[in-house]
Amino acid sequence: MMTIKVNGEIKHADVTADTPLLWVLRDVLGLTGTKFGCGVAQCGVCTVHVAGKPVRSCVLPIGAVGQREVVTIEAIGEQPNGAKIQKAWLDLEVIQCGYCQSGQIMAATALLNQTPVPDDSDIDAAMAGNLCRCGTYVRVRQAIKHAAAEV
Amino acid sequence: MTGRRRLLAGAAAALVALGGALAWWMLPPRAMDFAGDGAVALADYRGPSPVGVPAELAGASLVARGKYLTEAADCEACHTATGGTPYAGGRAFITPFGTLYAPNITADVETGIGAWSDADFLRALHKGIARNGQRLYPAFPYESYTLIADEDVKAIRAYLFSLPPRHAPSPPNRMKFPFDQRWLMGFWSLFYNSDRRFAPLPERSPQWNRGAYLVEALGHCGDCHTPRNLAQALDNRRKFAGGVVDGWRAYNITQDRTAGLGDWTDAQIADYLRRGHTVGRGSAGGPMAEAIDLSLSKLSPGDIDAMVAYLRAIPPVRDRRQAAVKTAPAADSHRTMATAAPLGAALGKQMFEGACVSCHGWSGQSLITPDATLVGARSVNDAAAANVALAVLSGVQRPAPSLSMPAFARAYSDAEIAAVSNYVTARFGAKASSLTAKDVAKLRAQSAP
Repeated sequence: MMTIKVNGEIKHADVTADTPLLWVLRDVLGLTGTKFGCGVAQCGVCTVHVAGKPVRSCVLPIGAVGQREVVTIEAIGEQPNGAKIQKAWLDLEVIQCGYCQSGQIMAATALLNQTPVPDDSDIDAAMAGNLCRCGTYVRVRQAIKHAAAEV
Repeated sequence: MTGRRRLLAGAAAALVALGGALAWWMLPPRAMDFAGDGAVALADYRGPSPVGVPAELAGASLVARGKYLTEAADCEACHTATGGTPYAGGRAFITPFGTLYAPNITADVETGIGAWSDADFLRALHKGIARNGQRLYPAFPYESYTLIADEDVKAIRAYLFSLPPRHAPSPPNRMKFPFDQRWLMGFWSLFYNSDRRFAPLPERSPQWNRGAYLVEALGHCGDCHTPRNLAQALDNRRKFAGGVVDGWRAYNITQDRTAGLGDWTDAQIADYLRRGHTVGRGSAGGPMAEAIDLSLSKLSPGDIDAMVAYLRAIPPVRDRRQAAVKTAPAADSHRTMATAAPLGAALGKQMFEGACVSCHGWSGQSLITPDATLVGARSVNDAAAANVALAVLSGVQRPAPSLSMPAFARAYSDAEIAAVSNYVTARFGAKASSLTAKDVAKLRAQSAP
C-alpha cells in the first residue's frame, strides 16, 4: 500500500512502488484531468507538480514521490498563479482540442512560480517540452505574458 | 668503405633497438603480473578456495553452480543476438578486420555445442581451439577464460547443456584477408594466451584472491577496460586504463584519483557493479549496463565486495586528457552556463529544453530518479562525449524498477545530436566537447544493431 499527498489530501493506493504516478492518479484516484500522451516524458501532457516542480507523472514511480506533495490540474486553480494562468487561458481562448492543456497549464504555472515576469527565452526553456498538436504555441506564449502582467 | 660500414653498423644497431622496443611494446605483461611474484598453484593454496561459487551456493547442484558461473562469465552478452534466444549466438562483432558472428552455444548438435565433450569445452575456453580443431578468434576472451578452473568450466558446460537446444546456424564470418586465416591465431595464442589456470597469491587476503578470480578469469573486465596494442592484445602496462567497445568508452577503472576510481568509496563501486548506478557518480549505459543486467547484478554481495577489494589493488594510470569530474550541480536556471557556449549552443539548448530537461533538469539533478542525475557522471565529464551521444542515439534500457531512457536515433539528425551532446558536456561537465555531425554519424553506424 502506497501513501501520497495529492491536492492537500492523504491518499492510499494498493499498487507496487514502481507504478507510475500517472497510473495512480487516473486509474486509482480517479483524477483524470491529467492525461496520458507518450509515456516516455517527451510530450508533457502528464505534467503535475511535485513539491512545486513540474514533473512528468508518466515516468515518475510512485515510490519515488515520498513525502513530497503532488498537485494536479484539479487543484491548481486554488493557487494564485494557477488561477491567473487559467484566467489568461480563458481570456485568450488558448485551448483548441484541449488534450495537452492540463500539462501546458501546469508547466506555465510552475514557470510563473519561479520566474514572475518571464521573457521569451524563459518561456521556451519552461514550455518547449510541452507539445501541442493543434499548434496553440502562439497563444500559450501570449497567455503566459498576459498572466504575468495581471499582477 | 669504413664510413659505409659504420653506417651499416649504425643502421643495424638502430634496427635492433627498434625491434627491441617493438617487442617490448608488443609483449605486454600478463593480467596479474602487477601483483608481483609469489603466486602458487591452486592445489597448493591453503586459504579458502578462490574459485567456484560463493558459500551460499556451496551445496547447490552442478547445473545451479554452472548457472552462477556462466552469469559471472557473462557468456550471454556476446552469444545472444538482439532480441534472440539467449546463448543461441548470431550477434555481429564489427572489427577493423571484418565482421564476426558469435556462435550458438546451446546444446544443439548440428549448430551448437551439443556434440562437445568436457575435454572439447575445456580446450576451447583454455586454448581457444574449437572441437573441430579450428582456431577461435580472440574476440572470444580465452586469454581470460584460460584462468578458469577446470571444475568451473565443466559446471558452465553442464549449465549450457541443461538449457533447451536451439537450432540456429550463425551467419558465416566475413573477415578480410589475412585475418580470415584462422590458423594464424595460433601465433596470437603463442604470444598472448598464457594457457595457465588461476594461481592465487598467498600473501594477499582470501577476499582479494576471490576478487581476482572474478575480475580476471570470469568477469574478463580487461577485455573492455584495458587498451589493446597493435596485435589487439591487452596492453597490461596500462591495465584497466580504458578502452572502446562498439563506440562506447569503457572508462579508466584504475585507482587513479582523477581519471579512475581512486576517490570512489568501496560502497560506491559496489553499488555501481550491483545496480549500474551510484548516486553522484552517474549511471551505466551501453555495454556496461548490459554487463550489469546479465552478469554483475546476479553475483552474491560477497563476490561484489571481493571484486571491489581486488580493484582497489590496481595500480593508478593517469590520463592527462581526463579532467577531474565536476561534482557541483549546474545552475537551476536555463540562463546560466558555467562554461563558455559550446559548438552549436543555440541548437543544443533548444534540443535540451525540448527533449531532456523534463527528466534531467537544468541543474543536472533529476526530479524523477537519481539514476537520471547527470551531475558527477564520468560520461558528461568526458570531452570525447561518445557515451553521451550514444546514450542519446540508442537510449539506456534497464529492467524495472530502474527507469529507461528512450532512444533518439530516429528522432534527431546527427547535427542535432552533436549539438545537444556538446551542450550537455558544457553544462554539466568539466570541459565542453566539440562533436560534429560527422562524429555522430560514425557513432550512429556503430550503435545500429
